Amino acid sequence: MWDASQPKATAPMIVEDWDRLTFRVNREAYRSEGIFAREREAIWSRHWLYLGHETEIANPNDFVVRTLAGRPLIFCRDSTGEVRAFLNSCPHRGTVLCRETQGSSKLFQCFYHAWTFRNTGDVAAIPDEQAYQAGEDFRAAMRLRAVPQLASHEGFVFVSFNPDVRPLLDHLGEAADYLTMIEEQHVGGMQTLPGVQLYSVRGNWKLAVENAMDGYHFSPTHNTFVGYLRESGYAVTDDDQYAYNLGNGHSLLVLTGHGGRISMIWEPRFGADERVRTQAHRAEMAERLGERRAHYVADESHILYVFPNLLLFDIEGLSIRQLEPVAAEQTDVRAWQLVPRDEEPAARALRMKTVVSFVGPGGLATPDDIEAYEAVQRGIDATAGDARSGLDYSDMSRGMLDEVKGVQGRSIDEGAMRGFWRRWVDAVGIPDGLHSSGERPASFLEGREMR
Amino acid sequence: MTLANSYGTTTVGARAVSRPEVEDFLYAEADILDAWRYDDWLALFEEGARYEIPTTDYRRWSPHESGSFVNDDWDLLRARVKRLKSRKAHAENPPSRTHRLVSNVRVFEESTDALRVTASFVVHRARDGQFDTYVGRYEHLLAVTDDGLRFRLRRSILGHEALPAGARLSFIL
Ligand code: FES
Ligand SMILES: [Fe+2]
Repeated sequence: MWDASQPKATAPMIVEDWDRLTFRVNREAYRSEGIFAREREAIWSRHWLYLGHETEIANPNDFVVRTLAGRPLIFCRDSTGEVRAFLNSCPHRGTVLCRETQGSSKLFQCFYHAWTFRNTGDVAAIPDEQAYQAGEDFRAAMRLRAVPQLASHEGFVFVSFNPDVRPLLDHLGEAADYLTMIEEQHVGGMQTLPGVQLYSVRGNWKLAVENAMDGYHFSPTHNTFVGYLRESGYAVTDDDQYAYNLGNGHSLLVLTGHGGRISMIWEPRFGADERVRTQAHRAEMAERLGERRAHYVADESHILYVFPNLLLFDIEGLSIRQLEPVAAEQTDVRAWQLVPRDEEPAARALRMKTVVSFVGPGGLATPDDIEAYEAVQRGIDATAGDARSGLDYSDMSRGMLDEVKGVQGRSIDEGAMRGFWRRWVDAVGIPDGLHSSGERPASFLEGREMR
Repeated sequence: MTLANSYGTTTVGARAVSRPEVEDFLYAEADILDAWRYDDWLALFEEGARYEIPTTDYRRWSPHESGSFVNDDWDLLRARVKRLKSRKAHAENPPSRTHRLVSNVRVFEESTDALRVTASFVVHRARDGQFDTYVGRYEHLLAVTDDGLRFRLRRSILGHEALPAGARLSFIL
């Protein structure tokens, strides 16, 4: 096994060859607990992480508990309405403070010695407090531990365990506008619904990222889903669709040929009533946003990856997917459906049915994705430790010529994955992690020009 | 809604249905699913029927207003069966090996032509060197017809807090 404390310059994580136009990723990146530990430190403890959506805690005193980067947290709205994130661990001796998964409460009381805290973090009561000599200082020192940084953009709440993390908007960069576009889809904005898909895959988290940015797998992997769409009268195509590196490790797959969009692009399986609703809503969008903006918001599907743990599937409907790595070979996944706040019941029902017909571990498509990354995780055992040079590497070379020419990469190529891996190797800070031979382009296309 | 009015028998419209009849229906279904006989399985449904698996945080909300694992109307249910019969349903090719236990069957009158049936299930699934257990509760609506019972709503409610690693719902639960 590769030892994170002693990186070997002889086995780089990424090998780029600009003469042969090949890009290879060292499979230790998916299986090494050493690298996993290094990621925890260099990525999950240093960057912004998606925590949750403001509408999950819509009212003052609402809370949910959630483990993020391995740390149990309380995500709550305090009694004044402010969104907060605390470590879900009693400052006294570390007991899990809140053992409910969600609810509404002004106070959190630790069962062990009954210390009680307000949802602002203040100590409300310490039984027999006079036994502590320091008085008010003691109380002040025993406030709930807040996560060092918390910021929100368009309802999406991010936290960082790094007090010196850069401002959230700097981190989001071009991804920020795609979150804004989601909020702009409907007058009144969007909200999450109850009914959260909680599941866990036996695969490294980066396989889930690759899969989401991989338009190449759609036809073969989702053969049965494509068949279902075709039979219902929708012609699936991969033509003229692109994958963008948005910078900072974020990426975007723009898809127009993979299916309709509830209330924005009608397709036959949505039914006649939805056609009428779609026309009206699309016209309202053009009026409200201007036709050019409405076009980008409505007329294309987006799969947005926000480094490192957020995937937004803005396709038939909208799913938020959060990745929570638990070990090198296991990832917990959480998925919320994000819907227009104001939506008539028939449209809502169609949306809920359509969204989960594709996404989630019971859908007609996601199980095949899960099968893919679990099969990769098992399959790469075959080459572990194989001394033959270059064997223990996965290939992601498709479309490298476009990178040389400075041309935008297609959705069915692997450019978005390469962008992710280049950012990853930089972020984990493995010395000589990337080996490049031949003439490397001076720069890579980043961002998307919206004309 | 009334519990069986004479011991072990529930009357729906003019028809008396015994609990063994309901149990036999559920046992037969378990055999059909374990044997991967999906056409036979679909024949256990009345036209327009639904198949639902709520998420593990389920608290009695409507699938039309919430996220779900499975929220199949009749069209999707047939698409699901068609998919499972295809060699291209990669998540179930090769198919999971399953073994189902059904117990604690209770029968209630739902309407003039339907029963509400609750039962406990344990489904063991073997695949890829892993052995998972899915535990939960059925809450079905069964239409009572002259030639037997048919699913009107087939609902599997998981007892888990979350799907454990490697577990998925690519087969019928
Ligand atoms: S550990 Fe919480 S009160 Fe003692
Ligand atoms: Fe996929």
